[in-house]
Amino acid sequence: MKRLLLVLTVFYCLGIILSNLIQANFWVVMGAGAVVFIAANLLKRNDYIFLVLTLFLTLLAGALSLSNSRILPRCHISNFTYYKDNSLYSLSGFIDSEPEYKNNHLEFTFRARQIQRDQFKWRCCGKVLVRIDFMQRLNYGDNLTLIGSLVRPYSFNTASQSYKNFLARQNIYLIMRIKEPRQIILQAKDSGNKLIRYSFWLRAKFEGVISRFLGDLPASILSAMVLGQKRNIPWLVNNSMVRSGTVHILVVSGFNVGIVAFIMNLLFKIMRIPRRVRIILTTACLIIYCFVTGTSNPVIRATIMGVIFLNSYFLKREADVYNSLAAGALFILSINPGQLFDIGFQLSFASVLAIVYLYPKLRALIHLEDCKVKIWKFIIKGCLVSFSAWLGTLGIIALNFRILAPVTVLANIFVVPLATLITLCGFALVISGLIYPALANLLSLPTAMLINLLLSLNAAIIKLPFAYFYL
Amino acid sequence: MINFTPEEKRVVLFLLCLAFCGLALSNLTKLQPQIKKVVYPQVQLAKLNLNKVSLEELIRLKCISAKLAQQIIEYRNFRQEFASLEELKEVKGIGEQRYEKLKGIFFVE
Repeated sequence: MKRLLLVLTVFYCLGIILSNLIQANFWVVMGAGAVVFIAANLLKRNDYIFLVLTLFLTLLAGALSLSNSRILPRCHISNFTYYKDNSLYSLSGFIDSEPEYKNNHLEFTFRARQIQRDQFKWRCCGKVLVRIDFMQRLNYGDNLTLIGSLVRPYSFNTASQSYKNFLARQNIYLIMRIKEPRQIILQAKDSGNKLIRYSFWLRAKFEGVISRFLGDLPASILSAMVLGQKRNIPWLVNNSMVRSGTVHILVVSGFNVGIVAFIMNLLFKIMRIPRRVRIILTTACLIIYCFVTGTSNPVIRATIMGVIFLNSYFLKREADVYNSLAAGALFILSINPGQLFDIGFQLSFASVLAIVYLYPKLRALIHLEDCKVKIWKFIIKGCLVSFSAWLGTLGIIALNFRILAPVTVLANIFVVPLATLITLCGFALVISGLIYPALANLLSLPTAMLINLLLSLNAAIIKLPFAYFYL
Repeated sequence: MINFTPEEKRVVLFLLCLAFCGLALSNLTKLQPQIKKVVYPQVQLAKLNLNKVSLEELIRLKCISAKLAQQIIEYRNFRQEFASLEELKEVKGIGEQRYEKLKGIFFVE
């Protein structure tokens, strides 16, 4: 079987879905797994039966990983609090994410190590979402003691996409609100991962370069496209891109990872670094870029695919796009199986899978190779890629966002090449801004103009009749 | 010499092209200030003009509830127009917190 990893991933996902639907007892499934394992061991001489049993074992592994991820350890912080509990808690730990200013609050996830109520202290683990009502300079890894009440996120509906479930998928079950500066005590020593801290420092540096050379609006768009930072994007821009089905350009994806790999490889080549070392260094740069952009699902997927493609040179094997895509999914799901129900995860994998599978089929269907005019070939290729991605994500978007946008295919034909150009300009701007600001000053003008063109085009497209419908 | 692949040669050409475009635009914006409108995105692309937006548009965009949209339009009709964004706070149903959110959606011209 050529694409064994893909088949195993599909069965692993099926196991997660089944476990979510049935919610069977962990040890019952484990027992079934043990029986299947023994059977596979006894019947391994028969290839067909062995394969079937292995696939079934993978399905059970998926089911077990989801039910295990939902069992919280005894020391988990949510085990120390009660429902509708207004008492004051003192939490010690460190900031586990980059603090972000959202909806007039400073928000971050806090990894708790110790919890205190009255005079009782307990060692604990787990994450808490902290919302601060005032501005304070805080960074990833800062050791803090926070004093306040802990509340459980409230769910207005039982849908899987509710805020409560969204937080639960990130292993957050409690929220702490800080209203006054005296509720925060900053400790002297820093914690956290050094690589993540360095990545956040790098991101702040890049964002600084972008905002120095561009105005607020173009800077917010470029920060999203190059660094995956969407927090400053105006509501209207985001909304109009959702309606035209082009919001995916505001997310860091495989294309960005490809550009980073290409640029770093080129730089190392100019430095005359041997090929093997070049591959290792480029892989390291891709991992750092993954952290810089906030380790979102599309970036993890693209980074894993990129690393597999780069390192296939060492293994002396040809990289298969389906298998590397499956490896990306398996990596994310093995860490957090609940991510399978995340819309971002579904859209990211569905769109890539649709492009990889449908695009060659559509190309053969319309006999694109017979087309002799290069420019027509290029336009049709763009249409087919957009159409494939649209078909692949149509169901997920209609189900979750209640919007159907037939204009998406047309919009993407114009917007995607433009976004590609902007991303390339963005990378050139960031790199030149760091090493040669005079050049960055020049590059900022065409970049701003292209962003202006993109926004104007998008605004015009959504005004077309029957551009989109709310379901 | 370093042997560049065709893709790498394209990158060099792209950077040169970008720099030349930048030079041309820099020159044009100095000579003709109105060119700036073509280069830099205007606020209309990112925010709604509070004095021009219609009730249908507000409801269609789903940025605020239909009731609040009605209140805003009624206030605007009563006062002829909004003199500043701060005036939004005088509309019934808009407090400090909601105003902070609406600030990112509207502008006044």
